[in-house]
Amino acid sequence: MEKIKEILNKYDTEYVEDYKTTWVKAKLKNREDLLKVVRDLMNEGVKTCSTVSPTDFIDENKIEVNYFLEDLFNKKNVWLKVDVPRELENCEIDSITPLIPSADWHELEAYSTYGVKFKGHPNLRYFLISRDYYGKFPFRKDFDWKKHEENLVENINAITEEYFEEYEEYESNNGHQGSKTVLNWGPTHPASGPIRLKVYIDGEKIEKVQPDIGYVWRALEHLAERKDFIGTIIAVERICFMDNPNPMICYSQAVEEIAGKEITPFAKYMRVILGETGRIASHLISLGGFFGTIGLHTFMMWCLDIREYFLDVLEDYSGARIATACIEPGGVRYPLEDPQKWFDSLERAMNKFEETKDDITDIFLKNPIMNTRAKGVGVFTIEDVEKYYLAGPIARASGAKIDVRIDEPYAGYDDLKMDYVTCENGDTRDRLFIIFKEIEQSIDLIKQALEKIKTGIESGEIDPKKDHLIRMPKRMPAGEAVTRVEWARGEMLMHLVTEEKATSPYRLKLKAPSVNHTMVLDKLLKGKSLSDIPLLYGSMHICQGDLDR
Amino acid sequence: MSVGSMLFYIFVFPGLLFLLVWTFFVFYFARKVLAYIHKRVGPHFNGPAGTLQTFYDIVKLLTKESITPKSADPYLFNIIPIITPLVAALPVILIPWTPLINNGHGILDTQYGVLGLVVLIGIEPFLLFLTGFGSDNKYSFLGGMRILAQMISMEAPFFLAALSPALLFGTMNLYDIMYSNTWLTALILLPGAIIFIIAMLGILEQPPFNIPDAEQEIVYGFYTEYSGTNYVLLKFAEFTEMLVVSAAAVTLFFGGYRGLFFDSFWCLFLKIALLALIMVVIRAANPRLRLDQMLKFCWSWLTPLAVLNLVWIIFAKIYILGV
Repeated sequence: MEKIKEILNKYDTEYVEDYKTTWVKAKLKNREDLLKVVRDLMNEGVKTCSTVSPTDFIDENKIEVNYFLEDLFNKKNVWLKVDVPRELENCEIDSITPLIPSADWHELEAYSTYGVKFKGHPNLRYFLISRDYYGKFPFRKDFDWKKHEENLVENINAITEEYFEEYEEYESNNGHQGSKTVLNWGPTHPASGPIRLKVYIDGEKIEKVQPDIGYVWRALEHLAERKDFIGTIIAVERICFMDNPNPMICYSQAVEEIAGKEITPFAKYMRVILGETGRIASHLISLGGFFGTIGLHTFMMWCLDIREYFLDVLEDYSGARIATACIEPGGVRYPLEDPQKWFDSLERAMNKFEETKDDITDIFLKNPIMNTRAKGVGVFTIEDVEKYYLAGPIARASGAKIDVRIDEPYAGYDDLKMDYVTCENGDTRDRLFIIFKEIEQSIDLIKQALEKIKTGIESGEIDPKKDHLIRMPKRMPAGEAVTRVEWARGEMLMHLVTEEKATSPYRLKLKAPSVNHTMVLDKLLKGKSLSDIPLLYGSMHICQGDLDR
Repeated sequence: MSVGSMLFYIFVFPGLLFLLVWTFFVFYFARKVLAYIHKRVGPHFNGPAGTLQTFYDIVKLLTKESITPKSADPYLFNIIPIITPLVAALPVILIPWTPLINNGHGILDTQYGVLGLVVLIGIEPFLLFLTGFGSDNKYSFLGGMRILAQMISMEAPFFLAALSPALLFGTMNLYDIMYSNTWLTALILLPGAIIFIIAMLGILEQPPFNIPDAEQEIVYGFYTEYSGTNYVLLKFAEFTEMLVVSAAAVTLFFGGYRGLFFDSFWCLFLKIALLALIMVVIRAANPRLRLDQMLKFCWSWLTPLAVLNLVWIIFAKIYILGV
């Protein structure tokens, strides 16, 4: 940490300070320095970019660009801020993509939504947003959403026109001779979900893959700015329905940090239990989906059967199965009126998994045809993890020891015993096995947290009927916070900015891991056969909800 | 052959009505068994235990519009679904179905029964390739190419395995083969039967060889553009082919309609249903192979084994049966 501070102090900075246990926060005065600073930081091991987040300060007539740079293995992170002017002609900064490839799509997103031009980006283009938003930069504070929505028909025509132009272009480029063609793998393909992969194939061999995303872009980051601090929960939990509680934990922590409040131990352990339940529910879909991509639906059905029991747990607590809204700033939303009943339903869910575990291992995880298909295919090395910032299970399948729950403990995780779960090979099969191992780990964590709550209730330290929520201030002080949680698919990072006496967030940046996982699809699929697309794509556990936000 | 019996053969048994009833049955049977393995209920509401569900489905499809894509060749696109079930149903005349018809022989009792079966089953995939070719859809075309690749490779072991009973008994007449089969010869033919059933999975595009209509890869292969009546006809052809190939397997290797205590059509039906059950269980427990893996498996394992099987048959014929 000291070395990083030394490097930053060499340059002209407004401040350099520690932030939390693993971060150094600094603000550069000159935007020309950025590339030099990043180059120096890379020599120190900070080689990965988590995300790029511009904030539009319309009153001060500037846009502040936040870079979240991470050293994945030594846990030294840098939060770098640079100001750029707000006028469109002058709103530009050097691109760090040539140095750090993991920043690629994050810079494109910042350009499309805020209009920050990244000089030297290898392929700067509009991205994520649909054609009717081109050149309008919808997340800027002065963008008029109402006026934009008045021209609904024109907007739809613009989108259609774009497709026809693209189609004509392919036809004139490829012609009707030869074995080369372009396949639209999605967005209405049985295995794709709302994403389009433009697959350039020669016969059955893949030459190039271009993901086209944005089909479920709901502008959640903007939606958060329109709601109050409690209402933002519903925007946040809709990042992806499969792992529902963890994004809410991340957001709530950011609000608590700005308000300067500490939640009760009971709420902390409840967050662990709810978070891990959500993780299991998500992982069960990932497990089943993996086999679904190679044409076996039995496993999906079995996984959904087990998942029902874990959704029962969420329902017994919050009344909802998918969109639970069960965690809010200050703790967890509901008290436990009848703790024993809820603990029983948790036990039932965990027993259900333990009962089915042997069958799953014997029938599916040892399946010879699955092994033929998946073993040794689509390998990611640890270098790839660092270069493209593959997060969560994908990184751990390659043997990278990354886990926010251990690196930067939140909720009640620092009191629980846990270790990194990893596989060695990093191939497609390992990305299946790691999911299974993580479910086992989650069940272990739930048991530990449950034990803590039970002993707390017995000794009278925890009152499950009162301790769930602390009072939060109605109006927030000015401030900003960065929080991270280990989401089912990897690191989720949120950057929250508030104004003095605010009732709603000024800016909420959501970073979710599927963006990076989709970014590497071209590298992963090049030279493989058409049959490998669903398998390898499914093995990345991509969810379009958190890809587009 | 009188006109009356001829009409009976064409329209009732083993013709149209029988094939339709079989299609209803096997569709329902596969769905119910698959649902049981999936821990689901399966068809439930229409008819007792959902038995009429297939009937409802087919009626629904028949009432829907059959869409012909603008850029597809309308003649090719619409004629193939009519020809395909006819060709698929042709081998029915060769198979001895029941002791009650034609003294237990097939309707067409010929010395070239095995050859006829093999040839008529072999025509089918080319018609399906044409459906993919005529649809003017990239996914359909890929499905058509895949079906050609799969059939060319799977038919080699299929034919070689089908030859083994003919070689053992010295005749190509299906009735003679069926009645020459004993417990001993069934045991001798067992390796051939296993190769035949594996190749059969490939011919019928059943998992793990459902590569030509791989849903997750190429949408629905050559079926993609078909809807309504055309789709029903193609599905009907698929199930008819399944019946014919399964009946061929039973007749060639497992004694046809001969049972332990009495000879009847129901013995044949039970054996075919057992084969269908095996296919459904394989479908429920195995994912799909990749095209190149299937080709490799077929040419470097299945075909050489089928040739070796012929050597074994000749050996057994000389030294075990002592003919």
